[in-house]
Amino acid sequence: MQYLKKDDYRNYFRDVFGISEDILKNYHFYETRSSVWAYSGDIAPISEAEVVGVRALRVRNIIKPTTSFLRIIGKYATKNVIFVDEDQGMRFLSGESLSEICQSLKGYVVVRTASDVLGCGLCRDGILISQVPKKYRPDSTWL
Amino acid sequence: MFEKYSGIIPDFESFLKAVATPQPYWFRVNTLKIGEMELVSRLSDKGFIIERFRNLNAYKIESMPVKHPGATLEHSFGYYYVQDISSMVPAFVLDPKPGETVLDMAAAPGSKTTLMAALMKNEGSIVANDTRASRLRALGSNVERLGVTNVMITKGDARTMNFKNQYDKILLDAPCTGEGVIRKNPKHGMPGDREHRYFSQLQKSLIKNAWNHLDTGGKLVYSTCTFNPLENEEVVQYAVSKLKMDILPVEFPVPHVRGVSFWEGKDYTDISNFVMRIYPHLLNTGGMFIAVLEKR
Repeated sequence: MQYLKKDDYRNYFRDVFGISEDILKNYHFYETRSSVWAYSGDIAPISEAEVVGVRALRVRNIIKPTTSFLRIIGKYATKNVIFVDEDQGMRFLSGESLSEICQSLKGYVVVRTASDVLGCGLCRDGILISQVPKKYRPDSTWL
Repeated sequence: MFEKYSGIIPDFESFLKAVATPQPYWFRVNTLKIGEMELVSRLSDKGFIIERFRNLNAYKIESMPVKHPGATLEHSFGYYYVQDISSMVPAFVLDPKPGETVLDMAAAPGSKTTLMAALMKNEGSIVANDTRASRLRALGSNVERLGVTNVMITKGDARTMNFKNQYDKILLDAPCTGEGVIRKNPKHGMPGDREHRYFSQLQKSLIKNAWNHLDTGGKLVYSTCTFNPLENEEVVQYAVSKLKMDILPVEFPVPHVRGVSFWEGKDYTDISNFVMRIYPHLLNTGGMFIAVLEKR
């Protein structure tokens, strides 16, 4: 796979989520056909690599942040952040949409509780739509 | 079925009792995402009874309110990794530092890779390799869940693959017959001599390619989760005698014994006092063999 270094993607996280350069400078961003990877390693990606760091963005038709990377840097976000309580958080993690949460926000947001970053949400028409992948959704037996 | 090892495993009766009982769960805190005390407090609040082992980031679960230790939100957030302490030792012994380059030749499912990334604070680089797609998926999933960003995952036959760099440190946690994990997989059949010989050859090929990619003065940790000397002392002796590597003593504060000196007519006394064997009855864990080698 070809990995093209495109550190301009730092601007996305700075502009959309207000994450500081001090945090973003720890990562280099590499673009493949449909993804952008955040990588803090020193060795340049080799063509045999299947994965380089953590997938940070999907870039097919629109740019969409991933829950995995937001769970790493989302705690530093100062813009487009929605705080939810524990009950709302469990519903969000389970894939439910939540109304009357987004207020004036639009587009992708970091959703978090006081203690944890839960993942990526999408604010559309005042509704918060969970973007948390199924693999991270809690089972009813979980604590 | 372990009778053939009665002459090399000390306190053999206790060993047999241990392998016949289920293995307790251990975990380590993923310090890339959360502090140890914070996670311990959260799990305790949820009803987990856990015990820290000495001054290590390694916790034994004495009891828990869920069927599996991974059935919590904290696990899903990547705040901890369920891993037997014996399986942590090779990574702790390799002791990778931030900024170093590390090759993990047989990395899936990523237990040791993710521990090394935590020790390196996500700085420096780890190339984590494995052969099969299904195992790579597990590796990728764990790397992602734990927030490991300094890892590059490759797929290839580590016996012959060109990893394109020379590395400061290499972990070869080699494919093996897995006798040491029988408590976790009781259906795992006992391997015969043919399997031990097959894996021994495979492991020698792997350690040869590890040597190819190690910087002069670089450190290699060789480990397996099996007991047979053909897959352990035999392979280490090959690295010392044929590849001219130096063997260094393994020091780590978990209960262990030194290596086997004689087995099936072979003499391993030149290396047996340097290596470490962890047996299930010593700390109620799985089994592990660990050796440290240095390239001249």
